[in-house]
Amino acid sequence: MMILWSCFAAYSFGQQSSDPVIENIIETLAANQSEDFDYSELIDRLNNYRKNKINLNKTSREQLQELYFLNPLQINALLDHIAVNGKLIHVLELQSIDGFDLETIQRLLYFADINTPSGFENFSFKKLFKDGRNDLMLRYNRYLETPYSYTIPDTSSKSRYLGTPERLYTRYRFSFSNNIQFSLNLEKDPGEKIWNNSDRQSGPDFVSSSLYIKDLRRFKKIVVGDFALQFGQGLTLWSGLSFGKGADIFSVAKQDLGLRPYTSVNEFSFFRGLATQINFGRFDFTPFISSIRLDAGIDLNPLTNAEDISALQQTGLHRTANELNNKGRIAQTVYGGNLQFNEGKLSLGLTAYHSHYSQNFAPGNSLYNQFDFSGNQLNNVGFNYSYTYRNTYFFGEIGHSLNSGLAYVNGLMSSLSPTVSLVLFYRNYQKDYFSFYNQGISEGSNAVNEKGFYSGLQIKPDRKLEINFYADVFKFPWLKFRVDAPSNGYDVFSQLSYLPSKTTRLTFRYQFQNKQQNADRNTVTDVLGFVKKSNYRAEMAYQINKAFSLRNRVEMVQYHEEDAKIRYGFLAYQDVNYHPLSARLSGNMRFALFQTDGFDTRIYAYENDVLYGFSIPAFQNKGVRFYLNARYNLKRGVDFWLKYSYTQYNDQTSVGSGLDLIQGNHRSELKAQVRFQF
Amino acid sequence: MKKLSTFIFFFIVYQNVLAQLNSGSRLTALGNASVAMEDVWSATANQAGLAALAHPEIAAAYENRFGLQELSTKSAVFAIPIKNYVLATSFISYGVESYSESKSSLSLARKLGPKLHLALALNYHQLRINQYGNAKSFSFEAGVQYQLNKSVVLASHIANPNQSEFGNLTEEVIPAHIQFGMSYWLSKQLIICTEIEKILDKEVDFKSGLEYQIADFLALRGGLNMNPFKQYFGFGLNYQQVKLDFALSSHPTLGYSPQISLGYVF
Repeated sequence: MMILWSCFAAYSFGQQSSDPVIENIIETLAANQSEDFDYSELIDRLNNYRKNKINLNKTSREQLQELYFLNPLQINALLDHIAVNGKLIHVLELQSIDGFDLETIQRLLYFADINTPSGFENFSFKKLFKDGRNDLMLRYNRYLETPYSYTIPDTSSKSRYLGTPERLYTRYRFSFSNNIQFSLNLEKDPGEKIWNNSDRQSGPDFVSSSLYIKDLRRFKKIVVGDFALQFGQGLTLWSGLSFGKGADIFSVAKQDLGLRPYTSVNEFSFFRGLATQINFGRFDFTPFISSIRLDAGIDLNPLTNAEDISALQQTGLHRTANELNNKGRIAQTVYGGNLQFNEGKLSLGLTAYHSHYSQNFAPGNSLYNQFDFSGNQLNNVGFNYSYTYRNTYFFGEIGHSLNSGLAYVNGLMSSLSPTVSLVLFYRNYQKDYFSFYNQGISEGSNAVNEKGFYSGLQIKPDRKLEINFYADVFKFPWLKFRVDAPSNGYDVFSQLSYLPSKTTRLTFRYQFQNKQQNADRNTVTDVLGFVKKSNYRAEMAYQINKAFSLRNRVEMVQYHEEDAKIRYGFLAYQDVNYHPLSARLSGNMRFALFQTDGFDTRIYAYENDVLYGFSIPAFQNKGVRFYLNARYNLKRGVDFWLKYSYTQYNDQTSVGSGLDLIQGNHRSELKAQVRFQF
Repeated sequence: MKKLSTFIFFFIVYQNVLAQLNSGSRLTALGNASVAMEDVWSATANQAGLAALAHPEIAAAYENRFGLQELSTKSAVFAIPIKNYVLATSFISYGVESYSESKSSLSLARKLGPKLHLALALNYHQLRINQYGNAKSFSFEAGVQYQLNKSVVLASHIANPNQSEFGNLTEEVIPAHIQFGMSYWLSKQLIICTEIEKILDKEVDFKSGLEYQIADFLALRGGLNMNPFKQYFGFGLNYQQVKLDFALSSHPTLGYSPQISLGYVF
């Protein structure tokens, strides 16, 4: 008991200024994400719960799902425990709940407690402004070297960046308790203009804003402005933040959060309009309507001579004349609703929506994409379920795009013994299943044209050891880009974590992937060859005293394409973290060495950043990288962050490509950020 | 014609591997990660697993590989405990009239103290190809299992260490292989088994399996092999002294192989 208690204490004092807990959660989830994804929504939510802790005695399934690191079995066990035994009286009670190991409890108590005030209980308008919290943050960052684009004279007709080379980000939040939140984001990417003045838009490049009201009588949620919708297992309608296969084997069972305000600066996959969730006893109804302009490339249709959409553009970059021209080129209207039924451990959901585009999508002109969506409107319907029976959680969804294909998933998660959990997951996505908001679990980049079976196992023989393992087998029944025949493959992952003491963690990871793609041979028609990729990782993190902790990692990749030489990639780094208990200054630094045989053997590694600036850069070629990241707390409510990073590439005379090309063998970046809380 | 060519293809891919390939539906469903398991079918896997047997037991299995009747395997095993020893015979036959292989074995397993099991087996191999002739050979196997603690068993097994062959008539070889592994009881209902196997001239394979006794009469099983990649699924039913087991193995390219076995404990 005492040991456990002191662990909680260590967590709640030692890590006030930075957030290794939050970083750890996101890093586990984000294993398969692209490098510049904006996780601020999740970081924001977790930070918010760190300050306004969840009251476990008054919490709901949905609120616990928002924490992401609790799996459905654990959530059920906790809610069950409270329903059967009454309110939790002491946090130590959590130990007696099935599936709650020490680390889970530590993490949970970081964001939750058993006795905190919540909700509109003491609401008044006077208090709204007195107890309301304002949070204003400004960020500036840029590469210190001048990219090629800025050496092109203004008079030249060549494509070039029309804006300034820095990234600017302004973020404002107002919140009252957990019930009213207002959010405003303004952003421009490097190369974009500070102020756009075009026919379609005048103002900052990206503006996103939302007002979110929770638990107002029957209205559980109301969002005006930008919002995200997440239902079921993500086949029919899931926008915004989403995770795929990763180190957390339970992540294949998606935990839908329904309606959310959209607060990220990813300039894609969100809605703009009005949405609300209304509660009628066991039923929850979520109607929504959205109208927004999307970036798209255009092609002339040779038959009709009309302009067709060649592709939607998701990067959110509007730097050159051409990119600006594609900005907000088409209008999208989406409306529909979701009806959810919850009774005990059973949950059923029905989703239907209509989406309309101001122009037609061009039909695919290659064999591999001939089943892609064409036309300008689409109706989607979906049904999802989840049910817990004893120690097993069942879940699934079926989605259908009217007049075209079908997609479905079914899975289960079971705690076979107190130390062993199993996940089984089957998916089948037809080649002509269309949904613009489909984020189902998949091996391919889209959850379409794929069948697969995933089995995962987690073993925790004692509180020091954890083994995660999964094997995923998949088939692509139709052709894919650069794969000129139906193909198949598999993916095997294993990770062992060992915590010899509460401040030391060792992690070993091995992943093997075997897929097929067009072989690099001189044959008349393309034939498929295998591509095998092995990934080895070892990591050690430990605390040396109250202020300093160290972390190092080595990682190796082996990439074997049929008929080609085996290629290797290697990365090693050393982190030093400085987080004294109550000093104003804290920070961290890293020195990394990398050597890879090109792009295919690149290695991703998450790195510390300024608050909300989570990044997972890819390392390729040969060189060293160094960064220094510091936070300074000027006074209560005023914080500064500064990050400087420097990457040197050996044997190179330039870095980057195209308009981003920098002369020389190095690239350095400066990031500065200030936050006011009042 | 197509059938014939598939047939030949399977022979090319699957020759030489008879020796370790039919150990009843229970051990098959566990991905053949059987070296540290205790079962009557240990007679065709690691014979040291027989030593724990308390009653005489008889069992037979039938596997229809990749859904092709020509590739069916039939096997049977009988084991009887005599004082400190367990004596077992087993028989496996594979193929059709025009091509067949078989293996008959006699095994002897013994408990040495409460923790250690040892076993030896003598095999008689026959290979028959119509109009070409017959070939015969002997080989031997040895196995050991060690009870590390209440829940963990460590084991290893070698087969045909002297690399005996069929002689000059054919290039067909009897594989020499070594296996070692572990089984781990995580609770009374749950066992996980793993095995690393190296067959001479083949890549190392890693196998693992899981058995979950969901009720007194019903067990669910699953398993995986890494090299080549294969998935396994199965279940077992117990009714008094009768055991009925089913296994399905799946190869991503070659397809499914169902297997059924029936056993009786005296």
